[in-house]
Amino acid sequence: MDLFQSVMTGFQVAFQPQNLLFCFLGVVIGTLVGVLPGLGPAAAITLLLPATFHVTPVSAIIMLSGIYYGAMYGGSTTSILVNTPGEAASVVTCLDGYQMARQGRAGAALGMSAFGSFIAGTIGVVGLMLVAPPLAEIALKFGPPEYFSLMILGLTVLTFLASGSMWNALLMAAFGLFLGCIGVDPLMGVTRFTFDIVELSDGIGLVPVVMGLFGISEVLLNVEQSMERSVFSAAVKNILPTLQDWALSLWPIVRGTILGFFLGVLPGGGAAIASFVSYAVEKRVSKHPERFGHGAIAGVAGPESANNAATAGAFIPLLTLGIPANAVMAILLGALMIHGMQPGPTLISEHPDLFWGAITSMYIGNVMLLVLNLPMIGLWIKILKVPYPILFPLILLFCMIGAYSLNNNIVEVFLMVLFGVIGYLFKKFKYEGAPLVLALVLGPIMETSLRRSLVISYGDPMIFLTRPISAVLLGISLILLVLPLLPWVRKKKAIIPIEEEE
Amino acid sequence: MNRFNNEQLASAFWLVIGVIVAISSFRLHLGSLASPDTGFMPFLSGLAMCLFALIGLIHGTLERRRGVRWTPVIIGAQVRWGKSLAVLVGLLAYVFLLTSLGFVLCTLLLMGFLLRAISPQRWSLVVWGSVLITTGAYVIFDLWLKSQLPKGPWGF
Repeated sequence: MDLFQSVMTGFQVAFQPQNLLFCFLGVVIGTLVGVLPGLGPAAAITLLLPATFHVTPVSAIIMLSGIYYGAMYGGSTTSILVNTPGEAASVVTCLDGYQMARQGRAGAALGMSAFGSFIAGTIGVVGLMLVAPPLAEIALKFGPPEYFSLMILGLTVLTFLASGSMWNALLMAAFGLFLGCIGVDPLMGVTRFTFDIVELSDGIGLVPVVMGLFGISEVLLNVEQSMERSVFSAAVKNILPTLQDWALSLWPIVRGTILGFFLGVLPGGGAAIASFVSYAVEKRVSKHPERFGHGAIAGVAGPESANNAATAGAFIPLLTLGIPANAVMAILLGALMIHGMQPGPTLISEHPDLFWGAITSMYIGNVMLLVLNLPMIGLWIKILKVPYPILFPLILLFCMIGAYSLNNNIVEVFLMVLFGVIGYLFKKFKYEGAPLVLALVLGPIMETSLRRSLVISYGDPMIFLTRPISAVLLGISLILLVLPLLPWVRKKKAIIPIEEEE
Repeated sequence: MNRFNNEQLASAFWLVIGVIVAISSFRLHLGSLASPDTGFMPFLSGLAMCLFALIGLIHGTLERRRGVRWTPVIIGAQVRWGKSLAVLVGLLAYVFLLTSLGFVLCTLLLMGFLLRAISPQRWSLVVWGSVLITTGAYVIFDLWLKSQLPKGPWGF
């Protein structure tokens, strides 16, 4: 089946009324969770996963994907209007977006953010469509050593791009790998570190960890600070960017799209990192870097494009290699498996309707988001005006229901609260949760790949270096590990946290 | 506390955890390189934790010598940590009572507590807010999405 025919098949699937409805629901819910601080796409996907059990796998994946990329649109609204990011990928948008709002240019910031997101999201989907099929063919040549090295690269990328010290990020990754070992050993069938708790024999679930580290901990931090937020109250007008805005934003959108897409493809990259890197790049290449942080539209257009392109890119390792690039993709992987699909190199040939239907629905979803979001900005502002003391009990309740309803298991709710406390302490002591989550996701696959590689090589670790793909992947990982030791790289890395604290 | 800074104490904590993980994994049997056993991977992760914690400890010690001291982050800091603690107590109570009291009553109590105790709202808002949130959540998740939320002795 050639590309054109595949795309046509995809559109036929995506335009079915039921799939259009689920796409619409996904992007609207996604925007809503993006708008609400403290409730991210991972939590929303988990909450709605049981609701998809009664629909076809294609409709389910279309809706759940819609939540993911819809959240990227919604996240920017809170960043610009309240200076509070709805989710991690929009943190950097606060820097210039909120300043633009204070200068009376909230409309332009929101408009450019929506257009940038649309352009990047659409180009990202084209990239996904073009890259995924050939990559799936290459992936058929991947054996355990290549998978192991790829995951080492993923973890290294994440720790390299982490905002704090690299050893702390690596420490978190190592802890995540250990957490991933809890439960039944996949090769020997022996239980490990379960402390005779039956519920732990399946391992520590990703959902309670993610909701705890990112949802509950955020609420615990927020309630101890002032809960008053000043929502930008003046009417938001002039949403359509001017020609000058376009001139200033065009290249940031292009750069953000390319950067975001490739960072999204890499396991460990992801939307949040893509937006930070895009901001740092824009500031570096700008003729007026001093304007950044004071309402530069390029500081909104670049990162917003990057985070949307990254969401499309993140589907590539999932759909072609069966490797989730981040926590949201890991939950989507679980969703696919619940629906009887096994993501990996054979997914495209075995389930072309699901693959192409899901991808083409992203085009439609991006159009829906653009058409819906610009007129609906007023509604999102109204939701933002709900005071935090009323909002946070709702966020907590959603997290509790989400953690419980996945397996109807109270131990998972307890684990979520426990990880909420751990996440709270991590933030206080400046440890990042993202490397832990990725390592937890990749841990079991990584362990199996490592042990199988050693078994097939009769215990010779050189197998990782004698196989070309594996050697290249490990070589890149080594470079990334050594780079921070160079003074000029260390200086550049320091840019991100400083801007985050501003 | 002033003898050590935050990084030193946090790294020391992780070093201890890493050692515990490595020793526990060793007891699970490591196997050989040609036939790695159950404890192999957790042992490696425990070793890695020790290594990175040690780097953090050394870095923290060097920073301490440069004058970086302990910064209060929870108790003693300029934060209202009591509110976080209250939320946490509420959540834990919810976890322990959910299966015995059922979703509806437990949620009603938790919402009432969070609305009143953390940032006190008017009693009318507390009562109506709790009832509306609980009813809404029950209708959406239990009746509509069939989430099978825990039922108390009274059937809801």
